[in-house]
Amino acid sequence: MSAATPSVNPTTPGSPTVPAVPRPETRTRRGPLVAWIALLLALMAVGVGAFGYQFANGLVVTGMRNIVMWGQYILFFMFFVGLSAGGLIVASAGRLFGVKAFKPITRLAVLEATVAVILAATFILPDLGRPERVLNIPLYFNPSSPMVWDITIVMVYMGLSATYVWLYARADLARRGSWLAFGTGTSNRTMAREERAKSAMAWVALPAAILLHSITAWIFGLQIGRGFWYSSIMAPMFIASALVSGLGLVILLALLLRRLRRLSFRDDLVAMLGGLLGTFIVVEAFLILAEYLTALYPGAPEGRAAARMLSGPYLPLFLFEVVIGLGVPFLILAIRPLRRRPVWVAVASAIAIVGIFTHRLNLVLNGLSFPNVDLPPGLPIGVAQTGSSFAESYWYVPTAIEWMVVTGILAFGALLFTVAVLYLPMQEHEAH
Amino acid sequence: MADPKASPVEALSPASRAWGEIGPRSDYPRWGMVVDQERCIGCWSCAVICKSENDVPLGLWWNRILTDGAALDQPVVSESGGMEMHWLPLACQHCENAPCVRACPVQATYHRADGIVMQDNDRCIGCRYCMIACPYGVRNFNWGAASRPTPYETGMVEARPLGTVEKCTMCVQRLAEDQVPSCVWSCPAGARVFGDHNDPDGRMTTLIREREGSMLLEEAGTRPAVRYLPPRRRSPL
Repeated sequence: MSAATPSVNPTTPGSPTVPAVPRPETRTRRGPLVAWIALLLALMAVGVGAFGYQFANGLVVTGMRNIVMWGQYILFFMFFVGLSAGGLIVASAGRLFGVKAFKPITRLAVLEATVAVILAATFILPDLGRPERVLNIPLYFNPSSPMVWDITIVMVYMGLSATYVWLYARADLARRGSWLAFGTGTSNRTMAREERAKSAMAWVALPAAILLHSITAWIFGLQIGRGFWYSSIMAPMFIASALVSGLGLVILLALLLRRLRRLSFRDDLVAMLGGLLGTFIVVEAFLILAEYLTALYPGAPEGRAAARMLSGPYLPLFLFEVVIGLGVPFLILAIRPLRRRPVWVAVASAIAIVGIFTHRLNLVLNGLSFPNVDLPPGLPIGVAQTGSSFAESYWYVPTAIEWMVVTGILAFGALLFTVAVLYLPMQEHEAH
Repeated sequence: MADPKASPVEALSPASRAWGEIGPRSDYPRWGMVVDQERCIGCWSCAVICKSENDVPLGLWWNRILTDGAALDQPVVSESGGMEMHWLPLACQHCENAPCVRACPVQATYHRADGIVMQDNDRCIGCRYCMIACPYGVRNFNWGAASRPTPYETGMVEARPLGTVEKCTMCVQRLAEDQVPSCVWSCPAGARVFGDHNDPDGRMTTLIREREGSMLLEEAGTRPAVRYLPPRRRSPL
């Protein structure tokens, strides 16, 4: 039995599919599903309400101020760009380099990438002080701004990945007679053409995914005024982070869908993906080491920000990022008996995702908390308050409003993913 | 380059000559300012008048006075053992190579023909990328509804809307009326001199040349139009 053949193939009463295509169990018990969707809709409503409140009162309702002027929203933006790029890089590289074993999870990875990039784009909106002016970006496009190129690649990539999902699903949709197939047939000749189209798509999607996250890195890495960010290692490090978090999420979602009988694959694949994740973690750790060593070795003022990361309130965050976020999952994945057990791979993936999130949190927090010209009394924080409105440094803590908006957007993503899994077949079958 | 004659700055009146610099102006003025750290007494007059001239709400400052010491009111001990205190008045540096102008996604931050970095608050989308880009931390965001000590708006310019970025404009509204910026004429110590960088014989350019006027964070390559004259009574910073 090949790795891609479903090991679980129970009877599927009422399924309209042609028997030649084995499909996993697709019945869903209604109760939990309805409750889940109702919960997501409720969270989305809370998010929309919080966003409305923020729109009416201004960004003063967030924890951001003049010193740390980017916070939770940008953090989630780049985290989700990473999740998206990482998922698609793994999926399309697997196809390009003919890694047959990846096949069962390719569709899932492409879908994950699509949903994640939609979320990333959504996270831009609440971060703007004037979201209603967002169309000024195409209208007054400034070609020297990394941000407009990032928004451009996010839009292009969103189209690409959505097309990619559809390309993967349309043969099955055609077999089911769905209008979503847009006239694709099910003949062998059409199927062969489909395979060629998927390969061609992989050629476009892989560089697009790499570009997507590199440009996001350059939003930060090209700013000479921010010593902690101004480094050529930013783009490679963002790609490494993307691979760790993106693959981690694909593993978690794959195991979840297997549990829900939407997808089937063998444990071998989990062990293999776990090994790959371990490798990505090593690359990430190596780049972090190279970055910190270069910053700290000369003992010069340029290394101040990196040195700060190793002291004070930042040290626990840094230790969490490196020791727990990267070290623990690496150890789990390096131990062969553990790697062969999906539950441990899932644990390692979850910790690695949190680790990458912490890495990005540290990047934003430490990159911004201390101004370059650090003489007293510091910067005006931007709101009137009792006592001094100046501060020499700022410790950013997101407010409840920010959490509500973020939760709402996350719920939107979960809803998109749930609906997609309900309507699009996730199981990739063997090539003819 | 745009026609310099189209610039609202045509000539400075005799009244403003009393506050500094005029002399023969160049054909292509590039306005700038020099701050004499030896003369500055850290009184914050320029910071306060800036707020009233430009209607800067509470909690926001376009211009502020940093103290070169351990704290706002603690002098440093000099090499000779005595105590000393110097100030660094800090506002927009009006960089020739401005990181904010490069970064702004919608060209809401731009250079005027005379080198002044301006902010278009009707176009700004409030992404705050210019604040990320600025090495000097002189940009302010309108986080919430503007609050003022009185119910009235003050100053000679329109208030900026919620959710946009604002900063020093070198008092363009005053330049248009042949007046030097408010911080310049209000300085009781005469520590600020306004002038044209393209006028080699002006008082500002002469001071910069003779007293080795420096750029703040010169290593960032921003080429500010605002220069600082280091205090002579002590070893340089």
